[in-house]
Amino acid sequence: MTVTDVLVCALGAVSLGAAIRVVTTNQIVRAGLWLVVALGALAGVYLVLTAELLAWVQVLIYVGAVVVLMLFAVMLTRAPIGRSDDLDRPRLPAILVGGGAGLGLAAVLADAYRWSYIGLSGVEPGNAEALGREVFTGWALPFEVLSVLLLAALVGAIAISRPEVGERREES
Amino acid sequence: MNDIQLPPIDYAALLPMLIVFGLACVGILAEAFVPRKHRFAVQATLTLAALIAGLVTVIINRDLEVTTIGGAVTIDGAGLFLQGIILVLGIVAFGLIAERRLERGGAFVANAAHAADSDGDKKQLNEAGATEIFPLTLFAIAGMMLFCVSGDLLTMFVALEVFSLPLYLMCGLARRRRLLSQESALKYFLLGAFASAFFLYGVALIYGYAGSVQLVAIKQSVLDSDKSGVLLAAGLALLAIGLLFKAAAVPFHVWTPDVYQGAPTPITALMAACVKAAAFGGLLRVFNVAFETTSWDWRPVITAVAMATMIVGSILAVTQTDIKRLLAYSSIANAGYLLVGVVSLGGAVGSSMFYLVAYGFSVLAAFGMVTLVRDADGEATHLSRWAGLGKGSPLFSAMFTIIMLGFAGIPLTSGFSSKFALFSSAWDANQSALVIVGVLSSVVLAFPYLKVVVLLWLNPPGDETPTVSVPGYLTRAVVGVGVLATIVLGVAPSWLLDMVNSAGTFLAK
Repeated sequence: MTVTDVLVCALGAVSLGAAIRVVTTNQIVRAGLWLVVALGALAGVYLVLTAELLAWVQVLIYVGAVVVLMLFAVMLTRAPIGRSDDLDRPRLPAILVGGGAGLGLAAVLADAYRWSYIGLSGVEPGNAEALGREVFTGWALPFEVLSVLLLAALVGAIAISRPEVGERREES
Repeated sequence: MNDIQLPPIDYAALLPMLIVFGLACVGILAEAFVPRKHRFAVQATLTLAALIAGLVTVIINRDLEVTTIGGAVTIDGAGLFLQGIILVLGIVAFGLIAERRLERGGAFVANAAHAADSDGDKKQLNEAGATEIFPLTLFAIAGMMLFCVSGDLLTMFVALEVFSLPLYLMCGLARRRRLLSQESALKYFLLGAFASAFFLYGVALIYGYAGSVQLVAIKQSVLDSDKSGVLLAAGLALLAIGLLFKAAAVPFHVWTPDVYQGAPTPITALMAACVKAAAFGGLLRVFNVAFETTSWDWRPVITAVAMATMIVGSILAVTQTDIKRLLAYSSIANAGYLLVGVVSLGGAVGSSMFYLVAYGFSVLAAFGMVTLVRDADGEATHLSRWAGLGKGSPLFSAMFTIIMLGFAGIPLTSGFSSKFALFSSAWDANQSALVIVGVLSSVVLAFPYLKVVVLLWLNPPGDETPTVSVPGYLTRAVVGVGVLATIVLGVAPSWLLDMVNSAGTFLAK
């Protein structure tokens, strides 16, 4: 057992425990905060595995943006916030689907890699430079086409949500 | 830091896609700067010009076989032919999208932000429709073109998103029955997002197996590898779910009737013709290039999916009472026939492409004619309203009869020649069970089509039979081209069959 192994296992256990609390707690804000812990621990796992850019992106986007957005949505729609007993859905199907998918994927991955060992010194660290080199060489076309996707999404969002200029004045 | 070098790019090979993407961006600028009263004319001209220029460059490129831009794009005979199909069907569908004479302002809502049935929504009923529809159409078509020539799974995923997102949006822009339209857009979006997630998870697992997402590299690692096949099988299964969703195969078909019914009819036509061609282009490429050597693993599963799709699609089509839903279930059954072509691999690529052309033209004409039967509330799509239309509008009914007979596979129509070509190449590939199920299900499927024909000609007209609008020249051209193609490809299919067979197959090296 190296330090890396211990850290990965410990962070993984934190992430798993926090994830279980997310679905078992019946205070919705606490569920959101437990989600921060779970995602943060996952970022720690990435960091230990030398994928530093992925770790920071995880913190920025999931912990920073997604969870904050969810908490905002909760605050705007469910005030006052406190203990609520209507958070539970039927548990058995959820356990079956979630547990089945998780265990199935774990079995597939464990079977595929068995006990193959890849040392940390053998892999290129996943920093911004390495990612940038990949994106702007081999993946140049998909990367550029993604900007088209974002443009289409932008135009579409405006088309379906924004009233015409001047019209609002007429109505009010 | 100066060691970043772009991979070599063959701009000529990418030109058709660059033209369509580029003019779509110009269309967005036009949306911003052209005064409103000229916008429609400018956008329609730009869109048509982009599609025609794309088609011309595809024809110029016809003998090209090249893998370019770091393996992201593989231009080959089959890929170019599929791009050509998408562009031709796109030009025909454009005729329906740009039609503004059937209804004041066209088939699309002016201002989608108004809540359905609100005062603002009622006020805008006669306003000119949104012109954003044109650049969005171009984005979708360019995405479909890229999807058919993707050389790796990530490019394929990006292309899938590029053509899906505009479609989700356009589904929600119908002028009439706003609530139904919005519901269909939301359903399509949520289920499509699910399917995309499956696709992406499949790509990740396949990367775990092969160490690459390039289709040819996956093929090579399947041949070389002694790793456990479980990862490959799981990845392939998830990938196939994503692709079969777009192709509307059972059991991933549940969105199809609702979306086809709720979307504006021109967009439904675009989905039934072009998206079908793109989805099957992608399926054919993935299975023929990357997974041909593992066909023992996936063939039984895809065979079962194909059988289920043919049977469920044709049986549920019998029970439909709405013409758009009927055509939706018929498109599901046709997806089943096309899956027969996927299962049969190499030899059936040509006849699958022939089927896509034949089906695409017929389905465009069918939806074009659905837009013509109207009453005061817009299109009258319930079948009971179609009873006895043959008395008042014999020409319309005769043309619809030809299309229905074509779908039913009566000889001397394209439906017969395309099914015959597809099933005979599947028979040659020893897929006799699939062929038998296919023939039996097409007998079942003939029943709803003939029911519509009987309804048109023999049933007495109801009290409130809707009128058949006099079509504008665009819809007239679409319907004319569709009916003509249905007859020509039935009477003299050999020239197109020669063309698809000489177009070559997918480049797998």
